[in-house]
Amino acid sequence: MDKLILTLDKGTTCTAWNYSGHRLAAGSTDGTVAIYDSTDPVSSTFNCTSRFKVQESSILKVVWIPPEYGDAVACIATDGTLSLWEEVAQDTEALHWKLCKCFERNTSQVLDIQFGDSRTSLKLVAAYSDGQVKIFELLDPLELEKWQVQAEFQNIIDLVSKFGNASCSSASISWNPQRGELQQSSFILGFSSNSPLLNSSKVWEFDQDHQRWLPVAELASPEDKSDQVFAVAWAPNIGRPYELIAVATNKGIAIWHLGSNPDSNGRLSTEKVAVLSGHDGEVQQMEWDMSGMTLASTGSDGMVKLWQSNLNGVWHEQAILAPVFPEQ
Amino acid sequence: MPGVTSSSSDSALSIVPHSSDSQSPRVYPLRHHGLTPPLARVSISWARGNTLRVSLIQSEAVSKQQTGGEVVEVKLTNMEGGEVTDGQWRRIAYGSVTPFALLQSRKNSMDSSHRSKDWWEHVMEYSREINSLLANSKSSGNVVIEDPKALLKKEEEPTSLKAAWELMEIFYADKQSETCIPERLLDWLADYDCLFSGTQPTVHAKLVDFQKQLVTLQVIENDPKYWEAMSSALAVGWLDIVVKLLHLHGSYQFDQLGNRETENGLVEAVAVLISQMPRMRPDLPSGKLGECYQTKPEFMKAWEKWRSQITKLDCSSFWLQCDHHQTREGLKNMLQIMLGNTSILSHVTYHWIELYISHFLYIRPFTVGLENMCNLAQKCMHLKPISNHHKLMGLIIGILEENIEVVLAECSRSFDPWMITHAIELLTAGSTQAEILLLEEQSKLGGISIEELQRLVYAQVLSSYAMTWNIAPIYLTSCMKQGMGLLENLLYRQPVQNHQVLLKSIEICRLNELGIVSSNMMKIYGVHKWKHGQKGSAVFWLQQAQDEVRLNRIAKQLFDFVGKSVSDESFKQWEGLIELLGTESSTAGSLKFLNIYRDFKRSLLQVHGETTTDAAGKAVESLVSLMKNPSTPQRFWLPVLYDSLKLLNWQERPLLNVAQTHLLLNKLQELSIAKLKPDFINADSPPEALNSVRLALATNLGRAILEE
Repeated sequence: MDKLILTLDKGTTCTAWNYSGHRLAAGSTDGTVAIYDSTDPVSSTFNCTSRFKVQESSILKVVWIPPEYGDAVACIATDGTLSLWEEVAQDTEALHWKLCKCFERNTSQVLDIQFGDSRTSLKLVAAYSDGQVKIFELLDPLELEKWQVQAEFQNIIDLVSKFGNASCSSASISWNPQRGELQQSSFILGFSSNSPLLNSSKVWEFDQDHQRWLPVAELASPEDKSDQVFAVAWAPNIGRPYELIAVATNKGIAIWHLGSNPDSNGRLSTEKVAVLSGHDGEVQQMEWDMSGMTLASTGSDGMVKLWQSNLNGVWHEQAILAPVFPEQ
Repeated sequence: MPGVTSSSSDSALSIVPHSSDSQSPRVYPLRHHGLTPPLARVSISWARGNTLRVSLIQSEAVSKQQTGGEVVEVKLTNMEGGEVTDGQWRRIAYGSVTPFALLQSRKNSMDSSHRSKDWWEHVMEYSREINSLLANSKSSGNVVIEDPKALLKKEEEPTSLKAAWELMEIFYADKQSETCIPERLLDWLADYDCLFSGTQPTVHAKLVDFQKQLVTLQVIENDPKYWEAMSSALAVGWLDIVVKLLHLHGSYQFDQLGNRETENGLVEAVAVLISQMPRMRPDLPSGKLGECYQTKPEFMKAWEKWRSQITKLDCSSFWLQCDHHQTREGLKNMLQIMLGNTSILSHVTYHWIELYISHFLYIRPFTVGLENMCNLAQKCMHLKPISNHHKLMGLIIGILEENIEVVLAECSRSFDPWMITHAIELLTAGSTQAEILLLEEQSKLGGISIEELQRLVYAQVLSSYAMTWNIAPIYLTSCMKQGMGLLENLLYRQPVQNHQVLLKSIEICRLNELGIVSSNMMKIYGVHKWKHGQKGSAVFWLQQAQDEVRLNRIAKQLFDFVGKSVSDESFKQWEGLIELLGTESSTAGSLKFLNIYRDFKRSLLQVHGETTTDAAGKAVESLVSLMKNPSTPQRFWLPVLYDSLKLLNWQERPLLNVAQTHLLLNKLQELSIAKLKPDFINADSPPEALNSVRLALATNLGRAILEE
């Protein structure tokens, strides 16, 4: 059932698989990133093929760029910096990883990033510790050096209120994974912060006509709006008439249905269809499988849990994967 | 973790949706190779299909740690269920594609409301093909001389998978043998009784034991086990084995004939009666005993006659002349079995299903209808309760109770998604109730039917394996609503940077009209090649992908390069690339420019070498068409004109006519205006370039006017 496929270097802090699951990038405490590759598409043996130094501080998170833009990873370091590294072999040089872009920063730190692949251009959402959200846009599809800030806003529905001194400990972003010509760019974002209005997860959609990002839904019941959000995950939709989104807070994992037709205020209908017990402690990560039928989650309890809707449409915990240690 | 192995399929991890999930979730141990608690973090990522990759990251606090953690791959559906090997499973998966696809196309060509009465024949054909795949033949080789003492011939290793398939075929698909279900169950048990031996005593296990002793026994009829074995085999209707055993009776030996004639006669009489047993079935496989009757009245008549013969033998006076006690008692006991003595039947059978079969054979041979069969099964289960529930039992009970939901749940709980996906064809052929349950689109399932859901699940399992992912599309295309969506997601996760995978994926896209997906793959491949310095291949694939944005971007990079100077040696490097860029008619207009530009450069180089007016004339043609082409970038105009100074100042005669010269002068004018704008890109030309060109053009114009 389970099989060891690779052993990580000492000091590894985070890992990320590329789109096809044939490359793994692993960040480490000394600020290096190691790349592991499989020899051929059929094999599942992985070896470390390159290693490069990103920062002096530890790596917090590594995210692969969509494959249409090449082989590149964005790295967030614990000092809050964000940089983009690419694997290239131009002209006569050998294949190597080079720094493409170091994103500018002020005093705040980057907490989470996600690439959104819209047909027109590549976008990168970054959430900062001061509650700001920045959307960067790639200007040239073949050059990962050139980015511009497309938008900057806070994760609040009421656009009038602004927060000067919010302090966020974590953020979670998930793009609508749907591709296609007609699909609007949209993503969901939630914070874990000291300011209640920022926390609740909101769905942001790009309004093509007015060229701006608008909040189209808030995935929190009125009584839960100030709850800190640990993780969000937008499910792939292979044909359901509604979108499926998982939101983890201290109350557990909530499964939401999001309608597709906006009302007169431009808001999408939402329905909380289940609240699942979640984990002992914080939920750290949630991921949907490729059909959007199974949700996998991890928590600070060290468990992996699998969630599914049964034939009666009831969400439940399907299985737990627990690392087992020999008796000490 | 040592000591945790999942040998029984019940412990196999399954994430197939069930109907009843009231029980608490199963906990599965994640094995790893040498980590010590605590872990700093566990992170997850879905790979293809149902594969989950779990990174177990070691905490830095553990100082003696050698590694930083491990990544474990977990396949969330255990395909084989422990019963068949990976290779066999792949053979089944590949083999079932054709029958499945054929049945689907037949179904589609037939209007569902007018589905003909003989639809089941198609289903049976399908079922037989699938069933033959499940046969797991052991290559024992042909035995020329049959061992007269071999009771149980083992041609293949029976599996629960095949047993379950055959059960469903009997009850749902095979309309022809509806009247003889008990007989088919008897055959089924003969094949699969051994499956139950593992957990409890069975007739099969008893015969296997006896077989071992057979060779060492001197006087077989003195051994009570001989008689027990025969009684048990007779009870479950394995007549050939019983007769074979009877013929091993000592009274058949030549030296015994003189003094054991009566005894031998009785043994033979029983053997004859057994081999003449009336059977309600169309035919019998060779080697099997009994007399077949197709219609109920004929069978009833024969049955009554047979019974009266048994009763007559039972009351015969010959028994008094039989001196051998064991023979007399043993044969009498067998007659009682044939007469349907309940307590003896119960005594000689072990599993409730064996008792069940014996009831069909000797007590209630006329049982028809599932309700009656179900009542009888419950009675037998009551008489022979079993502690260890074999997975086939749940299935049998579900079938007999006509509870399609239980059948479905048992199928998905005990077997892999292959089973349920393919068995649904049998279930829906069986009853309208099943058809409604399985084919109705349900909003609680996201708008799809159970049938479609199961196919999606199976396709996802197929796509977890590198060896089987390419048959998943066949199942996905049979899903009306969500199949294409899942297929797209599956294709997006293919490692298309590998050429073979790319070609295979493009082919799948072509068959399924997924043009956008396929051009996206070609784009990924093209970009990969571009980043790896293989520019020609990159341009080719980006052209295939019709990626105008990136091609224009590449063309721009080429302009920057080729625009620098005409004498640049490295122009040759780019020439091939320009050739490639220009050949496709569908590519961006700006690339057409590069093509003309190449022609221009070539003829200009020729002009530099020699001084014939013909060559110069050709160069001028290229120059004019280059300047006429709207896609020629503005910043290119001056370098091109400057490179052509020699043509503009041609000694023999003016090479440009008035109209052509006006065109070039206009362009020059446009350029001078554009120079004033802030976004003007200055080309790398000498400062005097503009003036030299203007002067040359003016001179040329004057000469051209004079000439005309």
